[in-house]
Amino acid sequence: MLKYIIQRIIAAFCTFVVVVVVVFFVLHFMPGEILDLSPKIDRSVRELIMAKYHLNEPLIVQFGYTMRDYLRLDFGYSLKVRPGVPVMNVVLERLPVTIQLNYFSAIVILPFGMIFGILMAVKKDTIFDHISSTIVILLISVPSFVLAALMQYILGFKLEWFPLILEAEPHLTWTKFYSMIMPILALSFGGIASIARTLRAEMAEVLTMDFMMLAKAKGLTYRQTLLRHALRNSCVPLASTFLYLFLGVLSSSLVIEQIFGVPGLSKTMMAAINGHDHWLTMGIVIFYCFIGLFMAILADLSYGVVDPRIRMGGKKDE
Amino acid sequence: MEREKILEVRDLTVNFHTYAGIVQAVRGVSFDLYKGETLAIVGESGSGKSVTVKSLMGLLGGTARVEKGTAMYQGQNLLALDEKGWEKIRSREIAMIFQDPLSSLNPIMKIGRQIEEIFTILHKTSRAEAKKRSLELMRAVGIPEPEKRYNQYPFHFSGGMRQRIVIAIALASNPKIMICDEPTTALDVTIQAQVLSLLGEMQRNHDLSTIFITHDLGVVAHVADRVAVMYAGKIVEYGTAEDIFYDPRHPYTWSLMASMPDMDLESGEALVALQGTPPNMLVPPEGDAFAERNPWALKLDFDRQPPMFKISDTHYAATWLLHPSAPKMQRPAALERRIQKSIARKEARANG
Repeated sequence: MLKYIIQRIIAAFCTFVVVVVVVFFVLHFMPGEILDLSPKIDRSVRELIMAKYHLNEPLIVQFGYTMRDYLRLDFGYSLKVRPGVPVMNVVLERLPVTIQLNYFSAIVILPFGMIFGILMAVKKDTIFDHISSTIVILLISVPSFVLAALMQYILGFKLEWFPLILEAEPHLTWTKFYSMIMPILALSFGGIASIARTLRAEMAEVLTMDFMMLAKAKGLTYRQTLLRHALRNSCVPLASTFLYLFLGVLSSSLVIEQIFGVPGLSKTMMAAINGHDHWLTMGIVIFYCFIGLFMAILADLSYGVVDPRIRMGGKKDE
Repeated sequence: MEREKILEVRDLTVNFHTYAGIVQAVRGVSFDLYKGETLAIVGESGSGKSVTVKSLMGLLGGTARVEKGTAMYQGQNLLALDEKGWEKIRSREIAMIFQDPLSSLNPIMKIGRQIEEIFTILHKTSRAEAKKRSLELMRAVGIPEPEKRYNQYPFHFSGGMRQRIVIAIALASNPKIMICDEPTTALDVTIQAQVLSLLGEMQRNHDLSTIFITHDLGVVAHVADRVAVMYAGKIVEYGTAEDIFYDPRHPYTWSLMASMPDMDLESGEALVALQGTPPNMLVPPEGDAFAERNPWALKLDFDRQPPMFKISDTHYAATWLLHPSAPKMQRPAALERRIQKSIARKEARANG
């Protein structure tokens, strides 16, 4: 098991390095100056600033400097979006807003996805199942930002049930939560649909298995056989689906935040990219990449938590 | 001596409603189960044995429907029960052992938990009590080191061990009737013998009445008090084990027994194999379902289904050959020889 974890971590680290390298060069190959200083500034001052950031040296040397800093966990300073503020601080400051939105949507996704999945599996091939399956396919195929725009138009603008954009209050108050409902829903629909779909398929299969017949023959009620025997068996692939899904939520949240005017990481990142604030962009990308890889490792390990056959793989008998 | 009937099945009819049409899986099966006895139901795959017993536990799923018939158990008709009623019968009154021990245990639940939940959920005992009784059961069915095994998962167990666990689960609620649906088919021959003797021991200790389903006549000879031979959803011959083994009357029983290899077979002698396959029960034949494959078939067999003829108080068979005006048919010579030999052996045993 330990060997497996170490393998996964090494693989994740390699991916991480590749991402950092690619992002660094892609950003620096973008046309435009990193420092668009006013022409009035004295040439020598300009040279000094350029030298401070190693900007007149070849790209490969700059890359070396950047990597050296990263190894010391120094992510540099934002140059334009928040001049002079360390990248780390910018990320940590913006993060809670994004995370708040994401974990609310994760909290919504899991129970609703599971309830719909179970209901669809139990009522397989009935009208309920057919209608829900159609809706599920629809929600999986329509991107979240389309849903978000539709909801904003219908629920927000036409019906005026919800505010169009997020309240700017710093703390989580009732009005703020109320304004978060639409972005949370927009982020959750896709997730609910894919959880429901996975669970329906898995559970429909588990329900036909022999051990379910034995569970019934034991005298358990239908509900007990479902909850005690079928559910956990159906959740084996669900654990990883859910973690990857959370990544999906994280990335759709980049766009959703724009639509609802959420002052989260996504807004900062857009500003950083457009303003050639490369260190800030890098910082945010590295952060997303880290979360992504961490989730992937967690997903691999989660199989073992649910299924003892995977947990104890290799050692047949202790 | 009049023995006590514990289960009385009359005219059980089960159909599968499929897209292709109605498949007649069980066509008017009637039998009795006496207290403490083992009734073996024998027949080839698809003869409706499993469907018959599953309908006695309300375990028919999906497209299967009990069309008519009664199964009287302690004054109530099981076949009229709803799901709530079944929950009171299953495990507490009638328990079942399934064919494939490899797939009949929940793969991701600890073995101990799977036995224990019967006590905690059905009988509302405390966890500690449930664990104690589960360990007792595991010991009773011959699991070595039950304390260690208790916390292991099914994949740690061999097929035979898993079947012992399934037996323990079946015994947990002290049922009156135990249904064994080919309990040894998926096991090695050596393990088969162990599991069979365990089943016999448990039956004696718990005073169980058993319905034993198998297609293996060797197993039947080993366990059965009475035998019902099933073909194409009907019982074609029905009698005590002695009736069936020493005086079979139905041509299907003859064919089954003649196709069983034994020690008396001369080397080079070909086994008699039953030709053909059972009829398609989507369109059951008008006459006797076995007529197509029956070397002794009469013309009448193709037109009309034979009724049950009574041979003795315990022995019945459904074949026109038993009609008073039917031509006298001889059993195949090889089978006759075999029967004579086993009768001789039995008498030799009886005389010491």
